[in-house]
Amino acid sequence: MTRTLAHDATVLGACPHDCPDTCSMLVKVAQGKVTGVQGNPAHPFTKGRLCAKTSHYQERVYHPERLLYPMRRSGPKGSGAFERISWDEALATIGERWRAIIEADGPTAILPYSYLGTQGIVNGLTVGDPFFNKLGATISERTFCDSGASTAYVMTVGPTPGMDPESLAHSRFIILWACNVLSTNAHLWPFIDQARKNGAKLVVIDPVRTGTTAMADLHLRPRPGTDAALALAMIHVIIREGLVDRDYVDRHTIGFDELSAHVAPYTPEFAAAETGIDAGIIWSLARDYASAQPSAIRIGVAIERSAGGGQVVRAIACLPALVGAWRRPGGGLLQLPLWAFPVRWDHLHRADLATPGTRVINQWKLGAALTGGLKLDPPIRALFVYNSNPLVVAPDQLRLKEGLAREGLFTVVSEQFITDTARYADLLLPATTQVEQDDLMFSWGHLYLTLNRQAVVPQGEAISNAELFRRLAAVMGFDDPFFQRSDDTILRESLDWDAPTMQGISMERLEKQGYARLNLPAADVYAPHAEGGFPTPSGMVEMKASMAAGGNFVLPTFRQGSHEHQSGTPVPALPTYTPPRESGIREAVPGARHPLAMMSPKSHSFLNSTYANHRRQLARDREQRLYMHPLDAEARGIRSDDLVRVKNDRGAFVAVAKVGDEAMPGVVVAPMGYWIAGSRAQATPAALNPTALGDLGGAPTFSDNAVEVERA
Amino acid sequence: MPHVVTDACTACRYTECVAICPVDCFHAADDRLYIDPDGCIDCAACVPVCPVKAIVDAFDLATGSEELIALNRQRSRELPVIDGKSAPLPTAEARRQSLNP
Repeated sequence: MTRTLAHDATVLGACPHDCPDTCSMLVKVAQGKVTGVQGNPAHPFTKGRLCAKTSHYQERVYHPERLLYPMRRSGPKGSGAFERISWDEALATIGERWRAIIEADGPTAILPYSYLGTQGIVNGLTVGDPFFNKLGATISERTFCDSGASTAYVMTVGPTPGMDPESLAHSRFIILWACNVLSTNAHLWPFIDQARKNGAKLVVIDPVRTGTTAMADLHLRPRPGTDAALALAMIHVIIREGLVDRDYVDRHTIGFDELSAHVAPYTPEFAAAETGIDAGIIWSLARDYASAQPSAIRIGVAIERSAGGGQVVRAIACLPALVGAWRRPGGGLLQLPLWAFPVRWDHLHRADLATPGTRVINQWKLGAALTGGLKLDPPIRALFVYNSNPLVVAPDQLRLKEGLAREGLFTVVSEQFITDTARYADLLLPATTQVEQDDLMFSWGHLYLTLNRQAVVPQGEAISNAELFRRLAAVMGFDDPFFQRSDDTILRESLDWDAPTMQGISMERLEKQGYARLNLPAADVYAPHAEGGFPTPSGMVEMKASMAAGGNFVLPTFRQGSHEHQSGTPVPALPTYTPPRESGIREAVPGARHPLAMMSPKSHSFLNSTYANHRRQLARDREQRLYMHPLDAEARGIRSDDLVRVKNDRGAFVAVAKVGDEAMPGVVVAPMGYWIAGSRAQATPAALNPTALGDLGGAPTFSDNAVEVERA
Repeated sequence: MPHVVTDACTACRYTECVAICPVDCFHAADDRLYIDPDGCIDCAACVPVCPVKAIVDAFDLATGSEELIALNRQRSRELPVIDGKSAPLPTAEARRQSLNP
């Protein structure tokens, strides 16, 4: 269906970014150009608000450095020298090169690399999956974000949406755990604020001092990666003090007796030694959490980023059931409400098109995959990057640069800008921004579908991801009409419109309103697990997880729908504490080469590296900073605004030191997202990040990172 | 850079901004409002709802942004938070017309 674009209009849009909030946006168009965007005041969750990233989205659309045409490399890899070519030439080149590679080495020599640069149903996570599954390319395991937590969560409570985010307004006690809400989930805040104004207590657990922690009644700062000790000690106290909701536990959980015995050694005193948090505070935290019902826990995606990051979530997911928090609206656990949406994942991935046995590569291993580190046969000879900027987000940056610089590697990057990764491309393909494309958004932070309608014609020759894969399918001779479906057909076929949660929702309604809440009870009465009904194998909260028997796995959602080649490494069936691999207190011994722990959280004004090339956002977040505690700074003769070199055996970057209590003693904090191209030493925090994965679901371990800092 | 309230608010004190602010970062004097620039999260929701366009992203000011941020910060420290809508000042309508926003 072709829609006519109005010359002057307000168009209903939706934010495309990898954020839980998925805002409904009003896009103002005058004379065929976007003049501004604002939050849609009618949307019950996002309520007319946008954020520091998107409030001037038009500046992204008309950014003078937008990539507008297909380009071919005209200088050494990484030099950023390109010349314009036609789409026909670009596509023909891709077809020729890929066919030659497939003939010589087979299709698994081609590796797709992508995530959620745009996260719509049409152009997001899965847009290339049917194509690459059919091509027979190596399968990408995309465990960028929340995969480890999701494996843990699903093992414990199943793929349930969990508590309604809006019901937080009715909570009496809220724990925000590893979640800087005001920067990365800001539209949730008013519901928390409402609860506070009703008398709820807010606890924020985060090693870093943030705008969110400043709002808390209690800010607890565990040493990075020790959160499981805290969660297990809470379980210990709740059981020992008789604060368990026995009726709920008896009817809706399995494994309580084993868990009770298992947590005996996890005393608050044990947790105090690991986390650095006073044992008395841990006692009272557990008592208050259990007593003030309904109590809620919101976990952020950062929680998984250490050696034992998965088991942290196993432990936390037991807590609401132990105290019966699920009984009432405003009680329970909020992780990933994505599971509420009746998405036809099989249709989006088309794993049925894949060649059985096709190898799987975890995308955090890209540097090793491109440099012989994984002993791949055949080696990767072609890389296709879209919706991602691995040089800034993936670990082991120096090795990745080396891999991307390989002369024999044919790299294609689809992008809106010539990012650090794009500089290494042989071919660049211009991608549309959200106002230049159609999409329908689910959310991993609220319960609304949000429609995004194209507002303006694309700049230059940019095309949407969906169109990109239609063209690639034609080039590769895929004649199944599935590969030529229109955007509207894709979005209609990707949801189960007959599902109970979709009753009353139609495209007509979405066109008119821009959004629709799933057909679920209102937040003030919705308590999804008041009577149990957890989507686990037993239907119960599995404190002792039956799924652990199969060993470690990544949900197929994060690996193109594939169930094959799962890691299968043993997983303890009861939640267990694994100390940090690198950055634990055990490492902080006198004479240690890398005695500091580094965390690299999201910047307030960037979404990963997106917007870090915008003057407006850089005016707020300026250049790479390193927050240090005064004790650590003094010991190294470092003062605020000094240039410092942060280093470990994987690499080094230079930052401006900021001395203060944003960082706790022994921990340095380097907000991420800055581009290598604008950095002082051609490196960013990812240069130091480890490639080791966490205990569950292929999570990264970026908060489990030992470093040293010196004056530059 | 944070959002700030400009002098256009003086003698108006409409409070649509207060109602939509998610972080309660407006502070009220008798004659106008100020934004606490350290509390502002740059969601920009207050900008389009102000009847006199008194709120701007400091980034968009050609000159004087540091002074305006400093003024908003200073006054916010001295004045109470306003977290609910209230009636505009009696002079608001006349002031709005004179500003012709």
